[in-house]
Amino acid sequence: MYADTSTLPLARPTIPATLPIAAVILWLGALFASATPWLNQLDPIAILSAFWTFNPDQYASVLAHYSWAPRVSIAMLIGCGLGLAGAVTQQILGNPLASPTTLGVEAGGQFGVTVATLFAPGLLAFSPDLAAIGGGLLAIGLVIALTWRLGFSPVTVILAGLVITFFLGAMNMAFLLLKGEWLGNLYIWGAGSLVQNNWGPFMDLWPRVLVLAILMLLLMRPLQLLQLGQASASSLGARVGLIRVLALLLVVLMSTTVVSRVGVVAFIGLAAPVLARLLGARTLGSRLLWSTVMGGGLLLLADTLAHWASTWGDGSLVPTGTTTALIGGPVILLALQGLRNTHHMPGQESSPAGFQPKRRSPVIISGVIVTLLLATIVISMGWSPGLDGWNWTPISQWHEAWVWRGPRLLAATLAGVALGLAGTLIQRMTGNPMGSPEMLGISGGAALVMVMIVLSGLEVGRAGQLGAATLGAAAALGLLILLARKHRFAGNQLLLGGLALYVFMDAGLRLVMASGGTVAAQLLNWMYGSTWLTSENEAFGLMAFIVLICGLLCLVVRPLTLLPLGDTSASALGLPVAKARLLLLLVAAVLTASATVVIGPLSFVGLIAPHLARVLGQQTVGRQMIVAALVGGLLLAAADYLSRIVVYPGQLPAGLLAALVGGVYFLWGLSRHGRA
Amino acid sequence: MSAFFKVSSLGVDIGDAGILRNINLEFREGEVTALLGHNGSGKSTLLKVLARQLSPSSGEVSVLGTSFNSTGAREFARIVGYLPQHPPGTDGLTVRELVALGRYPWRGPLGRYNEDDHQLIDQAIDDTGLRHFQHRSVDTLSGGERQRAWIAMLLAQQTRCLLLDEPISALDVKHQVETLRLVHRLAEERELTVIVVLHDVDLAARFCDRLVALKTGEFVADGSPREIMDSGILETIYGVPMGVMERAPGQWVSYVH
Repeated sequence: MYADTSTLPLARPTIPATLPIAAVILWLGALFASATPWLNQLDPIAILSAFWTFNPDQYASVLAHYSWAPRVSIAMLIGCGLGLAGAVTQQILGNPLASPTTLGVEAGGQFGVTVATLFAPGLLAFSPDLAAIGGGLLAIGLVIALTWRLGFSPVTVILAGLVITFFLGAMNMAFLLLKGEWLGNLYIWGAGSLVQNNWGPFMDLWPRVLVLAILMLLLMRPLQLLQLGQASASSLGARVGLIRVLALLLVVLMSTTVVSRVGVVAFIGLAAPVLARLLGARTLGSRLLWSTVMGGGLLLLADTLAHWASTWGDGSLVPTGTTTALIGGPVILLALQGLRNTHHMPGQESSPAGFQPKRRSPVIISGVIVTLLLATIVISMGWSPGLDGWNWTPISQWHEAWVWRGPRLLAATLAGVALGLAGTLIQRMTGNPMGSPEMLGISGGAALVMVMIVLSGLEVGRAGQLGAATLGAAAALGLLILLARKHRFAGNQLLLGGLALYVFMDAGLRLVMASGGTVAAQLLNWMYGSTWLTSENEAFGLMAFIVLICGLLCLVVRPLTLLPLGDTSASALGLPVAKARLLLLLVAAVLTASATVVIGPLSFVGLIAPHLARVLGQQTVGRQMIVAALVGGLLLAAADYLSRIVVYPGQLPAGLLAALVGGVYFLWGLSRHGRA
Repeated sequence: MSAFFKVSSLGVDIGDAGILRNINLEFREGEVTALLGHNGSGKSTLLKVLARQLSPSSGEVSVLGTSFNSTGAREFARIVGYLPQHPPGTDGLTVRELVALGRYPWRGPLGRYNEDDHQLIDQAIDDTGLRHFQHRSVDTLSGGERQRAWIAMLLAQQTRCLLLDEPISALDVKHQVETLRLVHRLAEERELTVIVVLHDVDLAARFCDRLVALKTGEFVADGSPREIMDSGILETIYGVPMGVMERAPGQWVSYVH
């Protein structure tokens, strides 16, 4: 009656055959790969029976029973648990990229354990779960508070999760730098190692995972309603808030229980549901089932890879967390291809609450900030602690102090300016207040190359590091452009591409952390922005470069105002959208790269400075850019000064300070807007 | 006929702005009522209050004589069904699966669906003419079909009242008329109370028993189509000079001067 009915499916759509086949192949492949090293010592039946018995006369059999079999079992168990938790998270938030990892839950759990190790070791002895659960709840609470008013749009939630992960990572790092002697082992653990030497942990873990899984399944039908959006779900009688809270609580319990036992096993909770969905699991029930199955298989595979790498490498331990991150990166990229309409996902409110932006005169605001900046420079040059207390360096001696204080201060300020500008560009371009160069993965690309240099054991000087970092940033940019060409350089896809790059960087970092030694310390210093490495020539070079770019920026103010109106409107107004985006992307990347080599990849300045400029009442593009640049400069100049004096005569990395202070500001600022 | 909803001295503020002020209304059982008004007049807000999506800043709303506050979430959902203005994407659900979700208020998180439930689901799908589409993904349907799929879900909910927020705003004339005719027919067959937000006065007068109009958050007119379809009253509602012709009994055409 309404349409040609001959093409319509007559039966219920079924699950495509590829899904079970892929799952079986994954499991069998992983099991076989895992058992391969034992094949020349034991016959297949003996290997299989290692799960329940062993032959006390045969060493290999004992080893298999107490080392290999529990490791395989725990990998499967954790994988299944995390896969299920990931699928549930995606359903709760209606977000195909949500997972315990991307929401910061695992980082939170790790943070909780770190804090407990340092300040309340008794708690850990009592129950390792409690500390981890506390940390996980803290992380997810922060993410939710951050995104509450922005609507839980997929990209925003993921970015908030990343911010939290960075922030908690920076806190962990501060503890490591200050109390490193206590935490060395924590970092091998933190990277997710599944090595077992008896059945104890498995026996301990399986009842918990089982109970949590059953509770999650009981929530299945209410979770299904969330797919219809808040309004429809609640008009069907579901208490949407309660369901979300309950389900998230279960997810946090599941992931932190795992974290407290084996450390951060990143990205299984993301990869498994994404794979299940890509292979055709459609309804909630089938998604939950197949995510669980895929999770178990994936983690077993990742663990086997880690085990092989440890055996065939130089004997140093390769944690499973590293290999899962290596699997996670490509999966995010895969998901990116399938994710078309990131603006409107199922179950998501379409309109974020707006607030009436205030406007203030740019002249006054800039004046105040410039004054503050000058004051910071004067104080930084002159007022410092010495061996005999605090004293002023008279201006006549400044040329002597310059060598020690000048270049790093100049470089820090300029890096701040660059990040402020880049941050504004990216936030405007993507129309997302959570976008920033740190998130775009340009910084991550630079860091990845540094990590690889350290890992390969090459000895390069400062110049070599600089060159390598720039190359890395350029490569990251190239990759992003390739990725984004398909999407006409649309903002959100770029940010997700950046996320994938960050995952790779993370994997490398974990590896370095686990191997320990002096290289790790070196890398850490750079990663967290040690400005004292900067020479005078570099600082002046950077200055010339930034001035040049600033000139170029005058050209892009207008296009930048048009782009957030949407591609259609912008091109209807005569803007060559793709070209404009490419240009803006290039400028932002170059700015970021130049700042990254000075301050490291993890400061929050690119995120905060544009935000602060808005809070200060600068709503138009040009004004926001100017004020953001000044604010960025001020932030890092102050951070540089503080990093010199806070633990005098020692030094803290300025980037780490900026990240800590910036992170706190960011959380506070957004929660304040949430109330308005 | 007894009052289904009773709204007394209702006020809704969002921030500093008063969206609704001092609304006193009764919606009678078994009646199809259209809410009219200009953009921003508060008609969608009123509907959201009735659907308990929004809690009023002041005043009292009761359903079937009991106050809103003392009705449980699922109990309420067995009485009142609400279709939001922009139903979200459904991420691969088939029509049948979507309609089946309408049984949630009756079965809850764990209860099994029995034969009756499946019959009701079939019935809802048949009533909306979606039998051929029942195994298709909702996202691949056209606007009109998707709208009917959501209405089918509301029918499976077996409520005594439907609240529809601009159900025809994205549809062409044919589908507009079909959807309203469907609503009207269902209301008659199942003795439903229907409250629907509409922009098109002529269609509202054609298919509804009663028209209620709001203007800038205040109640301005209430009556049968015959009473409301008057150039003076329409001018008060919309603020532009309008004229009305009655082409045939029960069929009005309004136009702007």
